[in-house]
Amino acid sequence: MDFERTWLPFLYLYGVGGIVFTLGMILILKTKALRLNFKRHKKWLWLLLYGFIFWSSLHATFIILALRSQ
Amino acid sequence: MDIAVGTLLDRIIIVAYFAIVMGFGAYFGRYSKTTSDYFFGGRRFAWWLITISIVATGVGSHSFLKYSTKAYQYGLSSTMTYMNDWFFVPLFMFGWLPIIYYMRIKSIPEYFERRFNSSARYLATFMTLIFMIGYIAIQFLTLATVLYRIFGIPLMATVIIIAIATTIYMHFGGQTSVIFTDLFQGLILIFAGLLLFYLGIQFLGDQTSLPGFRAFWMNLTPEEKLPLAHFNRPPDFNFVGIFWQDGIAGSVGFLFLNQGLIMRFMAARSVNDGRKAVAFNTLIVLPISAVVVSNAGWIGRAIANVAPATFPVDMAANDVFVAVTNVVSSPGVFGFIIAALCAALMSTSDTLVNASSAIIVNDIYKPLSKKKHDDAKQLEFARWTSLGVKVIAVIMVPFFNSFDSIYEANGWFHSTFTPPLAVGVFMGIFWKRFTTPAIIATFIGGAFLMILGQANPEMITPFAHGIELRPDRGYSYIGALYNIVVCAGVGIIVTLFTKPESDKKLKGLTIFDAAKLKEIYKGSKPNESSGNPVTVEWKLSKTNDNTICFSKNDMQTMSANAGDLVYIQDARWWYGGLKSAHATFGEPHDEDGTVYISSLQLDHGQFIEGLQLKAEKEM
Repeated sequence: MDFERTWLPFLYLYGVGGIVFTLGMILILKTKALRLNFKRHKKWLWLLLYGFIFWSSLHATFIILALRSQ
Repeated sequence: MDIAVGTLLDRIIIVAYFAIVMGFGAYFGRYSKTTSDYFFGGRRFAWWLITISIVATGVGSHSFLKYSTKAYQYGLSSTMTYMNDWFFVPLFMFGWLPIIYYMRIKSIPEYFERRFNSSARYLATFMTLIFMIGYIAIQFLTLATVLYRIFGIPLMATVIIIAIATTIYMHFGGQTSVIFTDLFQGLILIFAGLLLFYLGIQFLGDQTSLPGFRAFWMNLTPEEKLPLAHFNRPPDFNFVGIFWQDGIAGSVGFLFLNQGLIMRFMAARSVNDGRKAVAFNTLIVLPISAVVVSNAGWIGRAIANVAPATFPVDMAANDVFVAVTNVVSSPGVFGFIIAALCAALMSTSDTLVNASSAIIVNDIYKPLSKKKHDDAKQLEFARWTSLGVKVIAVIMVPFFNSFDSIYEANGWFHSTFTPPLAVGVFMGIFWKRFTTPAIIATFIGGAFLMILGQANPEMITPFAHGIELRPDRGYSYIGALYNIVVCAGVGIIVTLFTKPESDKKLKGLTIFDAAKLKEIYKGSKPNESSGNPVTVEWKLSKTNDNTICFSKNDMQTMSANAGDLVYIQDARWWYGGLKSAHATFGEPHDEDGTVYISSLQLDHGQFIEGLQLKAEKEM
C-alpha cells in the first residue's frame, strides 16, 4: 500500500484539522472565553487537548494494525 | 436480488414499536406549557439526557443504509465522517454555545438578524427551511423504501402513515416529547446496531475455524482495515474530498447551523451541561455510533470474503444492510432491527420538524404578525405549524425519489445549502469586522459563484487535489472546498470595502464578548464563587414571582446571595431535570432544610408534595 493510501490522509487530517484546532484554542484563550483562572475551565482545557490526542491516536493505531496485517 | 420481507412476528414487532413511541411521546406532552417549553424544553435537562437524544437525532434512518453501503465497498474507512468533528469543538463549546444560550437566541435566522439585519434573517430563514423540510422528506422516503417491502403498502401511503405516527406525539409534546422519545429511541438503535454486530461476528465464527472477532478481523483485507480512505481516489469515495465536505463544511453545518441540535443545547439546564453533552457525545458516543451504522457493511464484506456464495452475485451494495440482517438474524430479531431503523427515522425527523416549526414561529410569524399574540396562541400556532411542515415534506418526497439514490439526494442538499450559511455564521461569530453588506454578498454572490462552479466543473479543478473529473458528473465532494473559498472570498472582499458595525450592535454576538455573556444574561455581575448543592423540603410561599427563598445557612452552603440565579430540581437524579425550574434567590429565612417556592415554580417544575428538591446556584 502506498503512502497516499496509508499515512498521507492521516497527516492531512491532523495537519489541516490541527491548524483549525490550534487557531480555535488560541482564539478562545485570547478572548477569555476559556479562563484558566477558573478551576472548571482548566479541566476543559485538558479535555480539549485530550480529545485531539485521543482521535489522532485512534486513527494511527488502526493504520498501524492494518499495515501489520499485510 | 430478493429482499427479505420478514414474518408476521416481525410485522407485529414493528407496529408495536410505533404504538409504544406514540404513547411515550404523548405522555410527556403535559410538560409543555409555553412556547419555551415546546421548542426548548424549558432549559432544564441534564447533560446525559441531551447526549442520548443527540445520538438519536444524528443517526438518521439513511445513516444505516448509507454507511453500511460504503462499509461494504471500502471497509472501516466508512467511519471517517463520524470521526472528524473534534477540530471545531473548542470554538463550539466556548464560542457559539455560550452565545446562543446566554443571548437567548431561539433560531439561527434570529442570530443573523441580531448580528446583521432583517434581510440577512429572511435569506437565512429561506435557506434553512428548504434544507430542513427537504431533509425530513429524505428521512420519510428512506424508511418508506424499506417498510413498504415488508408490509406491501404502496410507498406514498407508507410515507403518510409514518408522518401521522410522528405527528401524534409531537403535536402535543414538542421538544420535551422529542427529548424523551429520543432517549428511548437512541438506546434502542444503539442496542440494535450492536446486536447486529454481535450476531454477525457469531455468524462469521460459525463459518470459519477461528473465534468470532478474529474471524471478522482476519477476513478483511489490509486495505479494508484502514480507517481513512485513499487520499484522492476513487472520485466517489476519497479522503480529501470527504474531509472538506464533511470534516469542514459538514462539521460547521452540524455544530453551528443545525437548528435541531441548537434546540437540544437550549434545552440543557446550563452551558456547562451542554459542554458535557458535546464532549461525551464526540468522545464516547460517536465511535459507538460509527460501529452501529457501519457494521452491517463490514460484516457483509467479511462474509463475502470468506463465503462468497452467501449473497447473490448481483447484490447491489445498497442492499447490504437488509441482506446481512436477514442472514445473521432470526424472525423477530429482524423485526426488532427494522424497528430500530424506524427509531432512527422518527427521532431525526421529529427534531427537524420541531426545529422547522420553531423557525416558522420565531422568524416568520412573530416578525410579520401585526397583532401581538399571547403565548397560548403562539403555542397553538406552533403545533399546527409542525403539522404543516410534515405535509410539505410528504409532498416533496416524489421529488427526492427521482434522484438516482438517497445518497445523491443527500449530497446535493449539503453541497447546495451548507457553505453560504456555514461561512456566514462562522465569520459572524469569529470575525468582528465582518459586515452586513458582506453577509448579503456571501449569500447572493457566493451562491451565484457556486452555481457557476457546478455548471463549469473546470473552475473547481484547481481545488481538486488531483481527484479525477468525471465527464458529465463533475466533482462529488471537493466542490465543498471551492464553495467555501468563493463564499468566504466574497465575504472578505466586501467586508474590507464596507464600514464595520458598532460595538454596541455587536454586544454579546461575537466570541470577543464571551467573557461578558454571563453578566448580560443575569443582568448583574455573576457570582462565580464555588458552593455546594443542597437538598431541601419545599413549601408553597404566598408570593407569585420568580424568587425562591432558602435559609441563611443553606445559602451559605451554596455560596449564594439574594438576586443570584438558582436551579432547583426533583432530588431523584434519573428524572434528568424533567421536574425542575430556574429561579432567583430571594431574601433568606431561618428554617434550615426548607425552600419556599411560588405556585408559578410549582406549576412549571411539577414537583411532588413530600419529595425533596435539590438546589444549586447557577451564577
